[in-house]
Amino acid sequence: MTNYLELPLLEINKKLKNKEIKVIDLVNECFYKIEKNKDLNCFITLNKEEAIKQALYLDNKEVDNILFGIPISIKDNIVTKDLKTTCASLMLKDFIPTYDATVITKIKEKNMVIIGKTNMDEFAMGSSNETSYFGSVLNPFDKTKVPGGSSGGSAVSVSSKIVPFSLGSDTGGSIRQPSAFNNLVGMKPTYGRISRYGLVSFASSLDQIGVISRNVYENALLLNVLVGNDENDLTSSNKEVIDFTRLINKDFENKKIAIPSFYVNEAIDKKILDKFYEIIEFLKSKGFIVEFVDIEYIENSVSLYQIIALAEASSNLARYDGIRYGYQTNKETKDLDDFYKTNRQEAFGDEVKRRIMIGSYVLSSENVDVYYYKALNIRKKITENFEKTLKEYDFIIGPTTTTFPYNLGEKQDDAIKSFFDDLLTIPINMAGLPSLNLPIGHFIGMQIISSKFNEDKIYQLAHFIESNRGGINE
Amino acid sequence: MSNLIPTIGIEVHCELKTKNKVFSNTLNTYGEVANTQINEIDLGYPGTLPKLNKEVINLGIKAALLLNCKINKIMHFDRKNYYYPDLPKGYQITQKMTPIGYDGYVEINIDDKTKKIYLEEIHIEEDTCKSIHEKDKTYLDFNRAGIPLLEIVTKPVIENEKEAVLYLEKLRKILLYANISDVKIEEGSMRCDLNISMKEEDSKTLGTKIEIKNIGSISNVASSIIYEKERQKKLLLENIKLTEETRKYDEKSQTTVLMRKKENKNDYRYFPEPDIPIIEITDEYINAIRKELPLLPDELREKYKNLNLNDIIINALISNKELNDFFLKLFEEKINLTISANIITGDLLGYLNKNNLNLSDTKLTIENFVKLISKIESKQITSKIAKEILNEILISDSSIEDIINSKNLKVLDDTDELNKIIDEILLENKSLKDDYLTKEDKTIKYIIGQIMKKTNGNANPIICSTLIKEKLNN
Repeated sequence: MTNYLELPLLEINKKLKNKEIKVIDLVNECFYKIEKNKDLNCFITLNKEEAIKQALYLDNKEVDNILFGIPISIKDNIVTKDLKTTCASLMLKDFIPTYDATVITKIKEKNMVIIGKTNMDEFAMGSSNETSYFGSVLNPFDKTKVPGGSSGGSAVSVSSKIVPFSLGSDTGGSIRQPSAFNNLVGMKPTYGRISRYGLVSFASSLDQIGVISRNVYENALLLNVLVGNDENDLTSSNKEVIDFTRLINKDFENKKIAIPSFYVNEAIDKKILDKFYEIIEFLKSKGFIVEFVDIEYIENSVSLYQIIALAEASSNLARYDGIRYGYQTNKETKDLDDFYKTNRQEAFGDEVKRRIMIGSYVLSSENVDVYYYKALNIRKKITENFEKTLKEYDFIIGPTTTTFPYNLGEKQDDAIKSFFDDLLTIPINMAGLPSLNLPIGHFIGMQIISSKFNEDKIYQLAHFIESNRGGINE
Repeated sequence: MSNLIPTIGIEVHCELKTKNKVFSNTLNTYGEVANTQINEIDLGYPGTLPKLNKEVINLGIKAALLLNCKINKIMHFDRKNYYYPDLPKGYQITQKMTPIGYDGYVEINIDDKTKKIYLEEIHIEEDTCKSIHEKDKTYLDFNRAGIPLLEIVTKPVIENEKEAVLYLEKLRKILLYANISDVKIEEGSMRCDLNISMKEEDSKTLGTKIEIKNIGSISNVASSIIYEKERQKKLLLENIKLTEETRKYDEKSQTTVLMRKKENKNDYRYFPEPDIPIIEITDEYINAIRKELPLLPDELREKYKNLNLNDIIINALISNKELNDFFLKLFEEKINLTISANIITGDLLGYLNKNNLNLSDTKLTIENFVKLISKIESKQITSKIAKEILNEILISDSSIEDIINSKNLKVLDDTDELNKIIDEILLENKSLKDDYLTKEDKTIKYIIGQIMKKTNGNANPIICSTLIKEKLNN
C-alpha cells in the first residue's frame, strides 16, 4: 500500500496538482489503514461508499485549494447529513441527521473527503474514551493505555496515520488532552471562533470545535477554513477572519510569557514538569521573558466545571426522550413518565446519567443560588483575572495534562478522578480563551494560550518551538 | 367570618403577529397542514441552536410601551426545564429573570371611574407544539412549536369578573390595534390563565391561590370567576382549608374542575439560556419604536370626535379594526371624511355583515373608494347611485367610470328632459302651483321626490330645484 498520507500536506497537494497521485489513492490508503488498525476502534461509522464516490468525482476536477481531496475524520458529535451521528451513545445509535453542521458545509466546500465518524466518550463526557457505547479506543503507541478523551477516536485516527486531520470538540480539554496523549497538535480556538451549529451540545457556554493535526502549520491551514460568523449560531463571533499562518516564521513583537503557578503544582507528574521546564529554559535562551504569576481562583475550575458544564448538560440532554428520534424501549411502559424514564435509563450510559443528575441537582430551585449562580460569579472573576494577565503578557503556557496515559479501565469507576485529567485545560474553557496543545515529549504536551482571537500568535509561538526543538522523539 | 372577597390575577398568552417563528426562520402560520411548517430547530434536533427573530423584540418593546411598562434594557432569555411531548427540546426558552417589560398598567373605566390594572411583567417565550388527542392516541403538530408568544401578567389587583372582562377587552383592543397580535381566541392566539383566591375584606394577606388554566374566551373568564368565587366561599364557610391547585373551566357545565393538586410542585430549574447572548436595547432604539406607535381606541375616539362624527359611527369604526384601518388611510386623501365615515359604517358595513365577509374578501380599493366619495361630494351622483356603484366595486375590478357607463348610472341633468318631467308632474297635480305660494320649500321637495320616482333616483336634485323654481315663479 502507498504511504502518501504521511507526506506533508504541501507535498500531497503538489502531487495532486501534478496528477502524480489521485484523490482515490488517498482514500483507498485511508480505508486500507483503517482495516489494518481495526483493533484501535477509532471509528464508529465509515463513510466509505460516499468517500470513494466523491474521490472519483474530484479526480476530474481541478485542484483549487490546499485542502482539496484531503481525507478528514469527524468526531461523532458533529452532525453530518445522511451520515449516522451517534455521539457514541445507544440513544442515537441509528440517528441520521437531516442537515450538515456549519463546519461540515465549510470543509465540503473545500472538497475535503470525510472518511468517517470517530469514536468518543458518550456525548463527549469523559477523558479516556471509555464511556463510549461502542467500546474503548486504544492508544496506538501502547495498546494497554487510554488515548485520552473525549475526542479519543479523532486523535487516534490522526496519530495512527489514517488521516492527517480530524475535527474534535473541546468542552474542558477534550481536544488538547487526547492530543497530548497522542503526540499531536490540537487547537481549541476562542469560544465563538467556530460556529457550534451542528455540534451536539454538551455544555453550550464551553463547547468549541477545533482541529487535531500532525503539526502546527497544517493545523492553522485547516482552522483558516472553519472560522467565521454564522447566522445559525448567535454565540459565533463576527470577528474579522484572518490567515492563521500569517505570523509563522515572523519575528515576535513581544516576548513576555506568564506561567500560572497553579500550572506547576504538585499534582502534576514530575517527568511532565521536567520536560516543561526544559521548554522554559529553551524559551529564555531565545530571549523570552518567562515569569510566574498567580491567577486567582483557577484552582476552583474543576468544581466550576462540574457545576456549570453539568447544569447545561442536564438541560441540553433533556431532548433525548425517545419521542421524535433516538432510542425507544421495547418494554411495555405504564405511562408517559415511565416511557421517558425507561428510554433514558436504558439508552444513557452511567457517566452521562451521573452528570445529568449532578446538573439537575445544582439547578434545582433550592441549590441554584449556592451552586450555579455562585459558580457563574467565580467564572467571571477567573475570566477577568486571565484577561488581566494577558494584558501584561503575550502568552500563558503550562503543561496540558497532569499524568501520562493511564491503563485502560484504571479510572473507569472513579467519578471524580477523571475530572482531574482536565485540571489544567478546564480553566481555559472557563475563560473562553484559545489554547493549543503542542507535543513536547512522548505523551507530553504543553498548552500555549493567548488573548481571545489571537490564534495566529499561538501558532507563531507553537511553530517556533516545534521547528527549533526538533521532533518529540529526539 | 366577615365578608369574603376575591383577589384575581390574570396571565394572558398571545401569539405575536410576526412573519417567522421566534427562534427559527420557519413561517409563523395558522391552519396549515400539520407538520409542514417546521425545520430542525423547531423539532429540537441534535446540534441545532436558536436564532433570534428581531421582529419579536420589536413587538415586545411596542407592547411594553403601550402597556406603560418599564423596559429591561439589558435582557436575556432563560430555559424552563420540564418534560412533556409538546416540548421538543425538553425546555422552553422564556424570560424569567429579565422580562422585556415590567411594572406597567392598563386603564379601564368602571362605573364612570378610571382604574389602573397593574401589570407585574410582560415577557417573550416560544409556544409549544400542539397536542391533538384522539381516543387513546395523541398526535403532535409542530407547526405551532416556536411561534412567538407574549405573556402578560397582572398583579393580584382585579376584584371581580366585571373588572376582569373590562381589562381583557381593553388589552385585546390594544394588542389588536397595535398589530401586535391577532388575539383570535378561536384560533388560540390568545389564551388566559386565572389566579383566584378569597380573603376576608379587611385582611392584608391573600388567601390560598387556585389557578384556572387555559380559558379560551373572555366570557368564560367571567363565568369561571363567578363560579369559582362561590365554590371557594362555600368551602371556606364550611371551614374547609383550601390547598393550591390547578383547575380548568368546563364550558358545558359552566363550572371549574380539578386538574391537579400542587403538592408536587414542578421545579423548572430555570437558568440563563447560554445559546442566546445578552441583548442590549438602547434608548434610541426604544424611541424609534415609540415614534411609530399607532393610535389606540381611546385616542381614535378623540380624533373622530374632532371630526364631529356621531357616537354610533365612532363605535362602529372602533369595533371593526379592518374598516377603521381603511378609514384611517383616507386621512391622506383630499375627500370628505364625514361622507366617507357614513358610507363605511352604513352601506359598506351593511354589505359585509349581510354577506358575512371581511373587507379583505372584497375587491374594494382605496383608489375606487376615493373616486366614489369625490363624485358624491361634487354631486355627480346621488347617494342611491353611490350605493349601486359601491356594490359593484366590491365585487369587480372595473373602474368607476366603466360602471357608470355600462349601467347607465349617469345623473340625469339634461334640462329639457327634466323640464318635460316637471311639466308632467304639474299637470298631474294642479294644486301644486298654489301650494308653492304658501309652502315653497315643502313643495319643491315634494316635486323633487316625484321626479326621483320617475327617474329611478337618477335626477340631479340641484338642477331640478332650479328648474322648479324657474317654472313656478313665472
